[in-house]
Amino acid sequence: MSTAPDTARRTPPLGLPGGRIELQEYALVGVVVVLVIAGAVLQGEAFLSSDNLLGVLRQSSIVGVLAIGMTFVIATAGIDLSVGSMVAAASIAGGLAADSGSLAFILGAVAMGVLLGGINATAIAYGRVVPFIATLAMFTMARGLALWLSDKTPISVFDLEFVRWFGTGEVIGIPSAVWVFLAVTALGWVLLNRTRYGRYVVAVGGNREAARIAGVRVRRIIFSVYVLSGVCVAIASVLLTGRLASASPVVGNLYELDAIAAVVIGGSSLAGGRATIVGTFLGVITFGLIFNLLTLMDLPIEIQQITKGVIILAAVLIQRRER
Amino acid sequence: MSLKRIVIALCLALAMGVAACGSSDDEGGGDSAANQSEGTQAEGKSGPVTIGFSAPAADHGWMAAITKNAEAEAKKLGDVKLVTTEGATDSAGQADQIESLIARKPDALVILPNEGDALTPVAQKATQAGIPVINVDREFSTPGAFRTWIGGDNYGIGWQAGNYFADQLKCKGNVVEIQGLAGISVTELRTEGFNDAIKRRCKDGIKVVARQPADFLPDKGLSVMENILQANKQIDAVYTHDDDMAEGVVSAIENANRQDEMFLTGAGGSKAAMERIQEGGLYRATFLYNPSMSASAIRLARLIAREQGLEELAEPEVPSRIQVPATTVTKENAKQLMPLGF
Repeated sequence: MSTAPDTARRTPPLGLPGGRIELQEYALVGVVVVLVIAGAVLQGEAFLSSDNLLGVLRQSSIVGVLAIGMTFVIATAGIDLSVGSMVAAASIAGGLAADSGSLAFILGAVAMGVLLGGINATAIAYGRVVPFIATLAMFTMARGLALWLSDKTPISVFDLEFVRWFGTGEVIGIPSAVWVFLAVTALGWVLLNRTRYGRYVVAVGGNREAARIAGVRVRRIIFSVYVLSGVCVAIASVLLTGRLASASPVVGNLYELDAIAAVVIGGSSLAGGRATIVGTFLGVITFGLIFNLLTLMDLPIEIQQITKGVIILAAVLIQRRER
Repeated sequence: MSLKRIVIALCLALAMGVAACGSSDDEGGGDSAANQSEGTQAEGKSGPVTIGFSAPAADHGWMAAITKNAEAEAKKLGDVKLVTTEGATDSAGQADQIESLIARKPDALVILPNEGDALTPVAQKATQAGIPVINVDREFSTPGAFRTWIGGDNYGIGWQAGNYFADQLKCKGNVVEIQGLAGISVTELRTEGFNDAIKRRCKDGIKVVARQPADFLPDKGLSVMENILQANKQIDAVYTHDDDMAEGVVSAIENANRQDEMFLTGAGGSKAAMERIQEGGLYRATFLYNPSMSASAIRLARLIAREQGLEELAEPEVPSRIQVPATTVTKENAKQLMPLGF
């Protein structure tokens, strides 16, 4: 058993590719800086106000939390297409418990997130279903569940002060949702970079066979990342519901694509074995800034969509070159 | 191997089942033909009517109400047998379902297509097979595909809203428009009607400072409005294309504590919106796009199947177009219109 951590350290995680990852992170810092300068020039005060910049962080927090979980999934060479639908299901599960107070809401949301994440995990780790298919199935099941449980109508949580605090509250001038996002990011960073578990996760994605031979319990690791993703879903659903003051079965539409895109432009490899929390964080911020800037400018949606696509492509190309 | 055998057995059983259904439907068709000869010309046919009903998957309140209202109306009428199909999530899926409905030979079909254009061929097929099609809301691309159309007035929503804004703002102010899904006619018409009304009434007095789609989704409405609030320091009113989506827009405004600066209107006529309008404050009005139209469609289908007309009209047949008005709901009439809410 004592050989396991050693071997894991020698497989992909933080050895050689680590350096490459840092370069990529710097490249994305450049993209963020360019966006901020563009915003300052084009929109001036409306963009640069601390209110707006904190707003960008707050808006990013929901997809941000999902993207942190997604980073772990992608590190194992997996994918989770179901997080957006699961956010809706978790919100509704919480909403159904809302009569018993904020804590009941949170418990309901966590229970649903973990349950659905657990189903993904079981199907993938033990049922050997390809992650793409298993989570695609969950993508439609979770949405159906949300619609069914809610009878297709939103549930007001206006009276749940504590849940709403996550959406509207502030601690020393910074929105509570941003604190949650930062905390999840920090925890994710420690877990991925400073624990044996994190090394195993990356090792499984890098070379599953090698990891198995080295004594890593591959299935257990794979199981765990989808449950982790489910936990992130629960957190995101609390943030979103708090912000909306209601739980709605139609929210979260295609959040998974935003989360995956953020992870990938951050520099993690879709093929697994290489993952960076800082990159994901910067990827999320990049998307937040783009969305903010384009709506501030009131560009027509078609121009926004083209611009967003071009920026994503450019960000990835710049990174390739620097590598 | 055994699994394969089970699958084959299942397929055979299914095929036989379908064949059996087909034959029983044939008998049904014969019955109604008999009825036809018995009934007098003025009265049309009588006896139970079988109506096929198809609408896309109900993924929001309005669509859910469409199916619910149709089912409730059929039950209320008593002599209508409603055959509904499970909600399809895309046009191809819905086309398949309508095909299967046609195969069951109902007396009439009530269809709210996922997309009018894409489902026109299958509607045409039903019409050609002698089954009258009642087209609800999203219109088929050729009149040859349906017997009657009943739908809401998207342009009317925009038009009513524009006039309401002109009155309330006295033709002066900054307005934000939160649109539905970009690139569909519902959105385009709701914007066009609004534009036409404020231009005609106020020239350039009312300025649309931001116009962004939020795809009819509350969470999208929330984040889009948050950004718009940042960009615009003075907003006098917000015109939104949908009541459910407006919930998110309302949250954005209230979270920013700017609810006293502006008012907001929705569209559709949900119960929640009407309740807010009654309370007064930010949510000032909504414009009906009423899902009760599916209940009316069931009634029309029944009349058409029986070859009867509308009693109040001189013509012996059901009209080929019926448009449901976009009534303005304000604090004054919200209570009275509440039963229509969904």
